[in-house]
Amino acid sequence: MRILLVEDEHDIRSFLLRSLEEAGYLVDAAPDGKAAEELAQENVYDALIVDLGLPDQDGFTLILRLRQIGVKAPVLILSARRSVDDRVRGLEQGGDDYLTKPFALAELLARLRNLLKRNSPSDGEASKLRVLDLELDLLRREARRAGQVLQLTQQEFVLLEFLCRSAGRVVTRSMILDKVWGMRIQPDTNVVDVHIYRLRGKVDGPGQLPLIRTLRGVGYVLKDR
Amino acid sequence: MSSRTDNTVLNSAAWRISLWATLAFACGTMLVFVALHQFVAGDIQRRSDAWLSGEVEVLGDVAEHTPKNAVYDAVVGEVAELASKEVPNKLRTEGARNDSVFFLQTGTDGSLKLWVGEGAGELRLQAIQKVRILPDRPSDLHVEGVAIPFRVATMRTTDGSSIYLGLSERDELRVLGNLRARFILLWVLLVLLGFAIVFYTTWRMLSLVRQITEAASGIGHSDLTARVPTTQRNDEVGHLARTINKMLDRIESSMHQLHTITDALAHDLRSPLTAIRGKLEMSLSAAPNVEQTEPIVSAIEEVDRLTEFLNTSLDVAEAKADALRLSRSEIDLDELLRIMIDLYEPSMSDKGLSIEIKSGGPVRIDADAGLIHRMVANLFDNEIKHLPSGSRIAVGLLVDSPAALLTIEDDGPGFTDDVLPHLFERRVKGKESKGHGLGMAFVDAVTRAHWGTVEAENRVQGGARIVVTLPLAAPQRRK
Repeated sequence: MRILLVEDEHDIRSFLLRSLEEAGYLVDAAPDGKAAEELAQENVYDALIVDLGLPDQDGFTLILRLRQIGVKAPVLILSARRSVDDRVRGLEQGGDDYLTKPFALAELLARLRNLLKRNSPSDGEASKLRVLDLELDLLRREARRAGQVLQLTQQEFVLLEFLCRSAGRVVTRSMILDKVWGMRIQPDTNVVDVHIYRLRGKVDGPGQLPLIRTLRGVGYVLKDR
Repeated sequence: MSSRTDNTVLNSAAWRISLWATLAFACGTMLVFVALHQFVAGDIQRRSDAWLSGEVEVLGDVAEHTPKNAVYDAVVGEVAELASKEVPNKLRTEGARNDSVFFLQTGTDGSLKLWVGEGAGELRLQAIQKVRILPDRPSDLHVEGVAIPFRVATMRTTDGSSIYLGLSERDELRVLGNLRARFILLWVLLVLLGFAIVFYTTWRMLSLVRQITEAASGIGHSDLTARVPTTQRNDEVGHLARTINKMLDRIESSMHQLHTITDALAHDLRSPLTAIRGKLEMSLSAAPNVEQTEPIVSAIEEVDRLTEFLNTSLDVAEAKADALRLSRSEIDLDELLRIMIDLYEPSMSDKGLSIEIKSGGPVRIDADAGLIHRMVANLFDNEIKHLPSGSRIAVGLLVDSPAALLTIEDDGPGFTDDVLPHLFERRVKGKESKGHGLGMAFVDAVTRAHWGTVEAENRVQGGARIVVTLPLAAPQRRK
């Protein structure tokens, strides 16, 4: 998977470059719009990460020009702007997803993965999810651990389903709030943690391998091996 | 509907201006008429007086020079009859008999000597004897039984007898009456026409002002692109419209400036924060053991808190300037609250708090869902942070048209006296609060941006109560 990263801030560009490479992507980085256009004409990319505030041109303009020269790869917009209008405009003008700075690396990777998945033919919506000895029946809304049915509430099932879909990868608290509860808030209190503790109490029984791990300062991960 | 229109007309400035203008116009024209009437009446009187004086002299002449024999009465009577045919202002000519003129001659002893006219001469004589009528000075004479007064002139002949010639004022009064009737008709028409013209022009003029008012009130908190309608006219109303538009230009440009500043500030602070957070995350994944991750984790948490603080303070700053940018959609506040209670309930029960909602079903508001989420999260976070274990939180939602009324009550210690009066100001927080002190200022900012209100008080029975009102979405308001 080859990614084009367009970001003018040197610090951000270098840590993104390293993180993306660690995550297994081939990354080309461009510091401005002009370099990005040149790279896009030479190579074919699977996805683009574009910062809106570039020194030589507006990120929106760059996306439009890239679309004009035939770049069809999905674009993840990074922006330090705060207005909702910019978000809407970014998505209207050829952006496929939008991330506000500062962001958690895990969220960037998750969104990037989503974009790449969206672009590749999917193998159909599975009705069952399986992670190690954890099994979710999406139609019957039923979860089993080692064959034992777990007594989950509706909300806990949705939370577990999200963790299973991201199994092996880090999810942050704001990703959970966004995907499970559908809201972009930054609570001052540990609301998400309490939900995870409760879910863990039901999923990881005594004597079983703990599946839900907390990565402090980062988020949670559901072990898949 | 029609009564409402009537009310707007009766309450309008155009109506009042027209009433006063018409009143002034009516009084003015009435004064002109009264003066004209006086002039015409005086003129008519002068003419009849001149005729009377002339005729009475002729009659006196005739009476003096006619021999006092048997034909005297016939000759003088004949002359008097002839004179009565030439009455001025006479309107009615039919019939030979004429009751508008009389001729009367008294003897030296004051007895009735000769009488030419309608009815009995004695009555006239009695009336004449009651008023002294001076020669060359015609004056009014009211006769008993006759409604209309006579104008009477007199002269004394050389033989000591007196001659009286009377002319009924009936014709004179009729002329004046006709004049009055016509004038009043004309006056009423003129006044009505004047009222209509004044009302129409002021109504049209002021309807422009009304349009400006309507357009101006429609220019929202965040939408400043609209302008009031202008006309090509160079009058006061045209000036008003252009001045308002210029003012809106200035407001829009300063609002734009504020947005540019907050955006630039956000950008300048966010870029380094992104770099810091990214580097911290990278060193976290490279850290070999828990002891080394701990400071990195707390640094990441500090960065997140700083980011949230930055976002919230920029939002509050924009909202204070009525410049918060909203992305509105119709949302069900009841559903939103239930989802958020669902989210918060576990951490609340962990702290020994209980929460329940009382709501009568869907309550639709036109709002920015993201901001309302953050507002409710702030309120719930506050409850968790400040309530002692065992407290109960009651969330109430009801429709109080045209607003949705959201109350959050608890039975905790309530607000302290030093915090309560300044609760919604920036950087206000309790002594033990760990937050950034923007929570309630943000709640206030969000409700203001949605044209709502928020109030906080201590309940009489103990505990705090926060009441938020938000305008209902248009369809629900109609119900």
